[in-house]
Amino acid sequence: MTHELRPPWDEDPDDLYEHAPCGYLTTLPDGTIVRVNQTFLTWTGFTRGELVGHRRFRDLLTSGGQIYHETHYAPLLRMQDEVHELALDVVCSDGRQLPTLVNSTLSRDESKQPRAIRTMIFNATERRQYENELLHARQIAEASERRVRVLQQIVADLSAAPTEAEVAEAVVRAPESAFGAASSSVYLVDGERDLIYAVVSTDPTTGNWDDMPRSSDRAVARVAERGDLHVVNSVAEARSHFPDLVESMRRSGRNTVVLLPLTTGPTDEHSGVHTLGVLAFSFKGERKLTDGELRVVRLLGQQAGQALDRARLYDDVRRREDRAIVLAETTRALDEQHRLLPRARRVVERLLLKVTDWAEVRLQVGAAPIVESAGGPRPDDILLQQRIEKVTAAGEPIFADDGDQLDCSVLPLTARGLVLGTLALRMTPDRRGTAAERAFLTELADRAGLALENARLYEQERQIARTLQRSLLAGDLPSGDTRFALETHYQAATYDLEVGGDWFDAFLITKDKLAVVVGDVVGRGIEAATTMGQLRSAVRALASNEAGPARLIEGLDRFVERVESARMATVAYLEVDLSVGEVAYSCAGHLPPLLQAPAGSPEYLLQARSAAIGSRAGNRVRTEQRRRLPAGSRLLLYTDGLIERRTRPIDKGFELLAREFARRRDAPLQGLAAALADTMVGRDHPDDVCMLCLTLGTEERIERTIGADRMQIALLRADLRAWLVAHEVEPDCRDAVLLACSEAVANAIEHGYRDDPFGTIDVVATVTAEAVEVRVTDQGIWRGAVSDAARGRGLQLIRDSMDQVLFDRSDGTTVTMRRNRQETS
Amino acid sequence: MTEFTRGGRPVAVDRLDRWVTFSTVGDAELVSLTGEIDLANAPEIGRAIVARIETADKVLIDLTTVSFLDSAGVRLLDALIGDLDALHKPTRLVVGRTGAARMTLQLCAFREDLLATDLDRAAAELES
Repeated sequence: MTHELRPPWDEDPDDLYEHAPCGYLTTLPDGTIVRVNQTFLTWTGFTRGELVGHRRFRDLLTSGGQIYHETHYAPLLRMQDEVHELALDVVCSDGRQLPTLVNSTLSRDESKQPRAIRTMIFNATERRQYENELLHARQIAEASERRVRVLQQIVADLSAAPTEAEVAEAVVRAPESAFGAASSSVYLVDGERDLIYAVVSTDPTTGNWDDMPRSSDRAVARVAERGDLHVVNSVAEARSHFPDLVESMRRSGRNTVVLLPLTTGPTDEHSGVHTLGVLAFSFKGERKLTDGELRVVRLLGQQAGQALDRARLYDDVRRREDRAIVLAETTRALDEQHRLLPRARRVVERLLLKVTDWAEVRLQVGAAPIVESAGGPRPDDILLQQRIEKVTAAGEPIFADDGDQLDCSVLPLTARGLVLGTLALRMTPDRRGTAAERAFLTELADRAGLALENARLYEQERQIARTLQRSLLAGDLPSGDTRFALETHYQAATYDLEVGGDWFDAFLITKDKLAVVVGDVVGRGIEAATTMGQLRSAVRALASNEAGPARLIEGLDRFVERVESARMATVAYLEVDLSVGEVAYSCAGHLPPLLQAPAGSPEYLLQARSAAIGSRAGNRVRTEQRRRLPAGSRLLLYTDGLIERRTRPIDKGFELLAREFARRRDAPLQGLAAALADTMVGRDHPDDVCMLCLTLGTEERIERTIGADRMQIALLRADLRAWLVAHEVEPDCRDAVLLACSEAVANAIEHGYRDDPFGTIDVVATVTAEAVEVRVTDQGIWRGAVSDAARGRGLQLIRDSMDQVLFDRSDGTTVTMRRNRQETS
Repeated sequence: MTEFTRGGRPVAVDRLDRWVTFSTVGDAELVSLTGEIDLANAPEIGRAIVARIETADKVLIDLTTVSFLDSAGVRLLDALIGDLDALHKPTRLVVGRTGAARMTLQLCAFREDLLATDLDRAAAELES
């Protein structure tokens, strides 16, 4: 009972040792356990016998603990004789690990040799857990912080992304860096086309990138429709909800897929949200997303949605601007072309440049439709034709739809309510489909329609003016009088410009008085053509046997007081008294006529000049000049288009014209004017050219020089025929001479000048009461006897049709032929 | 003079019809020549005629309004008649009693049986 008297703190030392609230171990310096208390045995599940004398302390540690024992515990203890609060895990008998804190002291004998180690072991299970929790909390905080940083960066990127594509690029990188996703993709919703399409993916080898309708059963479309985040946690879950995901999840080893709608609208409720896209990301293996992470994911969806919305608006604004620029540029480009065809051409070229890869304008004007197309490849003609007919009939555009076999939009070109034609085009893929593009095309077609209608009207007016001008210029000129011959030429400006006001006329005032006139009306187009007609009639009305050129022009001065459009017209007017070969002329502001007498130099008729008709500032004293001209004289009246060239001073123009006119003094009258125009202005002339050439009297002897060109034989024949008629040569004789002469010239061209296209042939003919004699001379090479059967026939014809024929081949070839006039009688 | 164009291509001004036009009289092809036929236009006219009468069984060539005919024209007619004879296709040349064409053809001694002065009679001869 004695022990009952002990106070509570008076403990039995053995019991204290065995049942202390900590483990005690006593080991030899090498660690072999020699003593252990019950507390330690209870904690670890070992029996005393298993440990004492059999195990070293270090044998009880985890492998990490054993290393720590080697590197820290033992050396520290050896140096300091004690260690404190070392965290070591003890492996229990059942393999469980017991977190502990260890204190040890090393006791030494008198000689300071290590004698034993006393070790006290505290159970640190609770404490380690607490530490782990702390560590875990810190890790979570760090991950969250990293996520926030990543998201902040992404939000910054989003706000700087001006286009949908760039927004998508920024969003698609987020899941990887923020949540460690394996891959992610962005889909956009196209409301116009009711489609969802993939724009970007970090791993294009996974998933299905086909466009899908918004009503599709595919997971992306469903989530877009619901507007709320959806997480698929396993393949099995996918199978029951979104079977379309199963295949790609399995193929790419994904277990978790997150589908995040990118939305705008109120953040707290799902009813008002508008889904602009979907971000899909997935993880390898299972990945549980925490509530915090899911909150962040939702936030990302809203941020990205807003960025998309902004980019869409911005895209819209920019597209609108683009379209406005294209429209303005196209309108301007069309204005540069006045004529219908070039304008139609320009429409398709502009479209090709900016909008389409193929375009065609088809206009139903005139007998055959005008068709201009550009780009390629051409769509199917039959389908296109069908659509064009439908559009033409309805007057409403038909736009290409997805899956459209033709893939071409056709729009009517209308003006003033009438369908003028159609505009067919195939859009480049990035511009297809949207309502805005359709509106743009409609406006483009409207503008093109109007521009083409204007061009058509212009063309029509031009055509009317041309027709009017032609009818006025093509009026019958007097002929059949052997005392004079006329040749005229008119050529319109090369470039497209409107009809000019140049004109000529010739008429007999009496049977012995011929009037010729060349004039130029100010202005162009239908008004100029009309004015020209009025002025021409006025000249005819005012001309009389008594009046003379000066009084006629005074009459025109009075005339323009009533017909204002004729004011400042210029006129060169000339009357010929055919009975005596005298001319009287007057020039009102017009270029001087050019005279070539049979002998001598060419001469400009510079007298009797005054100001343009109705001029208010110029000299309006109208005078006239009279002059007798020898038979065979030629006069040329012309308009300024013949001599005025921008690259040549007008003096040089006059000089050149005089020289060229003189050079052709022996050329046949027919074709003379055209040849002169060709030399003076060439093919490329900016102005109209109008010419009238007059030959006076009948030459006793006709001399002509022509080039070695078979086309010129007819021209020569015309002169020769007129000359023979003027000399009243009988028809049989005339026909024979014309035939023989033609054959002789043909022979020179085909034989003598076979290798010389620049050779010339001289023809001289004289007539007497008894006979007509013709001499044809070339400088070609004589090639011996004629073997060519055809030419042989020609030579035979000469011999048969003429009475005497003489060939002289001493210098070139001269054929002298004579035909008696009296043969028939 | 610049001509109005259709469908992007200039309308060819058919100059040949100044000299040659085609029609039919009964079952005969009628080739009407007019104006001056010479070295300059005969080859072209010849090609046009050949292309046209290929399928004809009988051919009438009317030269009554030809104002000039040279040896190139004669050559053309000679070749045409040679071909038609070889194919046994009846042919007549209608030429005025006087005039440039008759003169040339007579000078070249064309067979009288080919020449007629009246279109209707020539057509009737071919009918029989």
